[in-house]
Amino acid sequence: MSALVIKSVSKHFGGVAAVSNVNMEVPSGKVTGLIGPNGAGKTTLINLITGVLTVSEGSIHFGAQDITEVPAYKVARAGISRTFQNIRLLAEASVIDNVMIGFYRNEKTTTPASLLGLPSARRETAALRDRANKLLERFGMSKFADQEAGGLAYGHQRRVEMMRALASEPALILLDEPVAGMNDVEAGELGEIFRGLAKDGMGVLLIEHNVRFVTNLCDFVYVLDSGRMIASGSPEQVVNDPAVITAYLGS
Amino acid sequence: MSNFFTVYHHLFDVFLIGSGYALSQWVVMRAGVFSVATAGLASIGAYCAAILTTKLGWPHPLSILAGTLLGALTGLLLSVPLARLRGVFQAIATLAFVQIVVAIGLFSDSLTGGAIGLNAIPILIGTKENLLALLCTIYVMLAISATRVGRAFEAIRQDEAVASSLGVSVTFHQSLAFGLSGAIAGLFGGLEAFQTFTLFPNTYGFGLIVAALSYVVLGGRRSVAGPIVGTAILLILPEVSRPLADYRNALYGVIMMLVIAFMPRGIVDTGLLYFRRRRLAAKAAMESQQ
Repeated sequence: MSALVIKSVSKHFGGVAAVSNVNMEVPSGKVTGLIGPNGAGKTTLINLITGVLTVSEGSIHFGAQDITEVPAYKVARAGISRTFQNIRLLAEASVIDNVMIGFYRNEKTTTPASLLGLPSARRETAALRDRANKLLERFGMSKFADQEAGGLAYGHQRRVEMMRALASEPALILLDEPVAGMNDVEAGELGEIFRGLAKDGMGVLLIEHNVRFVTNLCDFVYVLDSGRMIASGSPEQVVNDPAVITAYLGS
Repeated sequence: MSNFFTVYHHLFDVFLIGSGYALSQWVVMRAGVFSVATAGLASIGAYCAAILTTKLGWPHPLSILAGTLLGALTGLLLSVPLARLRGVFQAIATLAFVQIVVAIGLFSDSLTGGAIGLNAIPILIGTKENLLALLCTIYVMLAISATRVGRAFEAIRQDEAVASSLGVSVTFHQSLAFGLSGAIAGLFGGLEAFQTFTLFPNTYGFGLIVAALSYVVLGGRRSVAGPIVGTAILLILPEVSRPLADYRNALYGVIMMLVIAFMPRGIVDTGLLYFRRRRLAAKAAMESQQ
């Protein structure tokens, strides 16, 4: 069962082809890797999937739904969450508020109920606060709940972003370099979490630089270089592929 | 003594109306829109209410309601072209909108009385109605802040890309904020119309733009109390600085500059943040002792 199917997708910025003719599948219940050197077009591809950028050619399907032309907020509502390469938190808001906005997608409160402050709207807010607290506990972040997210240490900010993405209970999560700047132990801990998500049935697309991390974690790996897909397969196949070695080490 | 009361009673009414305009300004800024349309929207509410009652004989509560709705509708319409603009460009576009409203007020003499003013509006609104309207507005603003729409506004204000990556529609919420801003401005414009005898187009011009903005900047942009405290300070200031009559504007300017330089979040929000940090520090100290 494929959650996300990308068919011959290209993106041109003027004359520059940032992504050209890319085919890719991200099944649910598996960790799929996307690696490639700097400037390969990995983040561009994420932005195309999430509707931040519009596709020049090709199509993107999520489940039965065509999301090629769908704006970012509707892609999110369809069940695709993401984290950002350069962490993006609501810096002035507290940690718990940052997590609570993640629940937005599944909230039942209607706009009029919210404007009038009806009891149902307040009850849902209280319920979400409880759920956010549980999530904080799971990630060992409870003691930071009321702190401003912008003031946290780097590793903690990463966790807040992860919790926010998980709060939306996505069917597919796109992780843009989630372990950048972390040591092997911290990266390993997060890796376990990602594997757990896939085991629970979520599709996980992991964008990474760190080849070792990806090969340890992923079931299937795609390699992007200069906007083109140069290899795909199991982690072992891919790291031994001559084209991949050339892309990473030079010829 | 009775003289004292009449003077300050009037000031209290001015404060209530000013707070309404401040909240109209605040609610768009809450949603990350840099709009200064409040003055124009208030003008539309005021003229709509006054014209309906003086020319068509509508009962004044109905006229005020119509002014509120017309303000909301204008705000919603305004949000359509403004959805493509951000930041300072929104400010310039809404500034142009206010100028257009002033110009229409000046040139359509037959309807608005032009520069001479729309005269003989009956005085039908007093402190009670003003207070009731402000309390209702404050309730809605608090309700928003405590529930789903408030969270969406806050996310959009801080980072639109994050907001939309979580399913929050930026366009919808900014339109909603414009509509609310228009409704509040229209309501308080309508109330003001029935306590001033005469409306002049320029009452709702650049002066009101600056006033509404300064109430919010001085008081704070996050908490509901911010704009109200800002209004109170800026309206009481001229009264207490009466001995300095000639330097009043200079004093006003200096205070604004000091607040912007040293409390960029505004007086109320800076204060709240200070107490929150102190509480957190105390909690952390307690935990480390155990």
